[in-house]
Amino acid sequence: MPHDSMIHSNQPSAADSPFDVADEVDEAALAAVMRHVPLGAGVLAGAAVALLVLGYLLSYLLVFIPRGTVG
Amino acid sequence: MSERQPEMHERRILGTELLWAFGVGVLIAATLSMIVFTALTMGINPPSNVERVDPKMLHLSGEFAEHNLGTSVAADGSVTARVIATQFMFVPRCIAVPQGRPVTLRFAAPDVIHGILITGTNVNTMVVPGFVAQVHTQFTRSGDLLMPCHEYCGLGHSEMWATVQVLPEGAFQPDREGRVSCAQR
Amino acid sequence: MRNVERLCLAHFWVAFAAFLVASLLGAWQMWVRSPLGANIGTPSQYFLSVTAHGVAMAYVLTTFFIMGFGYFVAVTALARPLPGKAWAWGAFWLAIAGVVMAVVTILTGQASVLFTFYPPLTASPWFYIGLVLVVIGSWVWCVLMLVAMQAWKRENPGRPVPLAMFATVANAVMWLWTTVGVAVELLFQVIPAAFGLIQTIDVGLARTLFSWTLHAIVYFWLIPAYIAFYTMVPRAAGGRLYSDTLGRLTFILFLVYSLPVGMHHLLMDPEHGNGTKFIQVLLTAFVSVPTLLTIFTITASLEIAGRLRGGRGLFGWIAALPWERPMVLATGLSFVMLGFGGFGGLINMGYGMNAMVHNTSWVTAHFHLIFGGSVVIMYFAIAYEIWPRLTGHEYPSLKALRLQLWLWFIGMMVMTVPWHWLGLQGQWRRVANFNYADPIIAGWGPWVIVSLAGGLVLLASSLLFIGNLFALHRSAAIAVARPLYALAVHPPQRVPAALNGFGLWNVLVLVLMLVAYGWPIAQFAIEPSPAAIVHRVQ
Repeated sequence: MPHDSMIHSNQPSAADSPFDVADEVDEAALAAVMRHVPLGAGVLAGAAVALLVLGYLLSYLLVFIPRGTVG
Repeated sequence: MSERQPEMHERRILGTELLWAFGVGVLIAATLSMIVFTALTMGINPPSNVERVDPKMLHLSGEFAEHNLGTSVAADGSVTARVIATQFMFVPRCIAVPQGRPVTLRFAAPDVIHGILITGTNVNTMVVPGFVAQVHTQFTRSGDLLMPCHEYCGLGHSEMWATVQVLPEGAFQPDREGRVSCAQR
Repeated sequence: MRNVERLCLAHFWVAFAAFLVASLLGAWQMWVRSPLGANIGTPSQYFLSVTAHGVAMAYVLTTFFIMGFGYFVAVTALARPLPGKAWAWGAFWLAIAGVVMAVVTILTGQASVLFTFYPPLTASPWFYIGLVLVVIGSWVWCVLMLVAMQAWKRENPGRPVPLAMFATVANAVMWLWTTVGVAVELLFQVIPAAFGLIQTIDVGLARTLFSWTLHAIVYFWLIPAYIAFYTMVPRAAGGRLYSDTLGRLTFILFLVYSLPVGMHHLLMDPEHGNGTKFIQVLLTAFVSVPTLLTIFTITASLEIAGRLRGGRGLFGWIAALPWERPMVLATGLSFVMLGFGGFGGLINMGYGMNAMVHNTSWVTAHFHLIFGGSVVIMYFAIAYEIWPRLTGHEYPSLKALRLQLWLWFIGMMVMTVPWHWLGLQGQWRRVANFNYADPIIAGWGPWVIVSLAGGLVLLASSLLFIGNLFALHRSAAIAVARPLYALAVHPPQRVPAALNGFGLWNVLVLVLMLVAYGWPIAQFAIEPSPAAIVHRVQ
């Protein structure tokens, strides 16, 4: 289907046809890397969320409750 | 790469997402359980008594007529403070409450939306014309606290605040009609 | 796609002009209410400024940015021209007319009711009508997004809609649902009151209708940032999106759960009971799920990129990421602010715990951090990423872009962290000047000044942002063709209809809205609140 390029260039880009343009990622390298992902992400995101919930519980017990019950 | 590897990868990816979602779900459930627990056992709830009152008749209604405002102790010993929030002052400007006893605070507005908080406590409520706002609490520490109007109510909003004197047991003395006024300082 | 460059730039420049003006006003407001500006400015000026700042940031910056970005995505992700471009321009000019109307009423002091309107406080009817015109313009945008997606689906039967467009349309559908609340409030209550056609107003009903819009609107603002996370960041980092499926699920969860949660803004209100408040708190817990899923999925996507660049061990991939690229840097900074902002949000929604923070500076801190911080920093990143495509020029250097992003992050943290603390001390909102002679308030002064310093850093960042975009228009370097959208680890060949359209989800939204808002609104029809008299502000 005919379309104009957003920038005047002969080079293909995903902006023109997202399905056809490959990226620079080598499939073999990706497969190798996928053996480790998402361990790092799981630990990092998990630690962050755990800290969040811990912070919430501490705020509830140490700041909110001592100010008096309210209802 | 064998034909099965990509399949495995996609299944594995979704599996990790499910595991993460499960972990997240557990944390959310724990948080909600704590909220439900404290609501049921300690009566910790937002102020939600849904009591209608005509804002245009407040000064005429028995409860919020001017002579009935402020803190009064009923025959059964229960302490209730009634305050009107209006552009741009609280009536009365100062209320006295006892330390360490259950107190009921009731607010009404004849004009626009106001709101109050009492510094250092969990007392916080909107005051919406058409409804009586009610908060039950216990003041744990004695002293003078600030009760500002915390919702925008017009150009004079910044000047709208009252004082709450939390009096220790001995200093909280009702008069013959059961009323307690702020101590003169 | 030449055919939408001017359309997109027009929308973006209006958005960013409003942003710049609002930044200046914000800094002035912070100065005036600090000990350093104690005798400067009248309440009349202050609340005029707060109204203008809120309307510009919450309604103009956002709506115009989202519309412009949507047109860009519709053309580039679908690789086809925008259908109904004349309608798009018509909507733009209608929205401009609305903005002008609203701005005139604000600047002449006839609309100091803040961006959240507080009936029975009532402004000039032209203020509300102006905002209604902006909303109508955005509705045209919604329809065009739907039409564009449907046209692409007809031409590509059986193929999954590109994720960026799927998410954009999810946002459009959600916006149509979102605006119903405020539209009903304005059309049937506030505007008639402003014209003097009715003398009293049911305040409980008005607040409830507005709350319908008030929370969902923040997800309308947020979804473009998440579109960047899922469809641009993995490519910018040099990796792949961990899961396309999770992306679709995330945007569907936002569509479904953003709406039936507005009552967590009314937890301290006396017109609703504990039952309905608790139901909406429960649903609010559900709307945290798509964000938590996103944190994992995008972090995993970044881990792929980092490991592909040689990062090893549990965390080595973090340092290996291309942090010199603005899109990657912005994402890291955004996630840090999302953590702090999310913490504040957890406390806000904590049912009874809301009493500790409602209408204090804590709330102000929360939404500046989560919206002004996490979301707007991604608006900057999106603008930086697509500006070369819109203008045909390239940046002379990326250093100024990174500096601007860092200034925004630092300024936002320095401004909002003291506000959280001050909120816990009881500092309340919307105050033109504090009485720093009062012993309780005096202690707040130093922290207010620290917060002001953060605000000034933000102002510098705002100016630099505009400067960076201007520089690009005048740059001599020609833009290099670069792919924009990310691929997934497993690009989907087919997806179930439920993940490729919104028919089923609209039904779910309807059901949840009936559950969450059915009784809260019906109760006012059955027994209206005692009405309050309309109060005109000038």
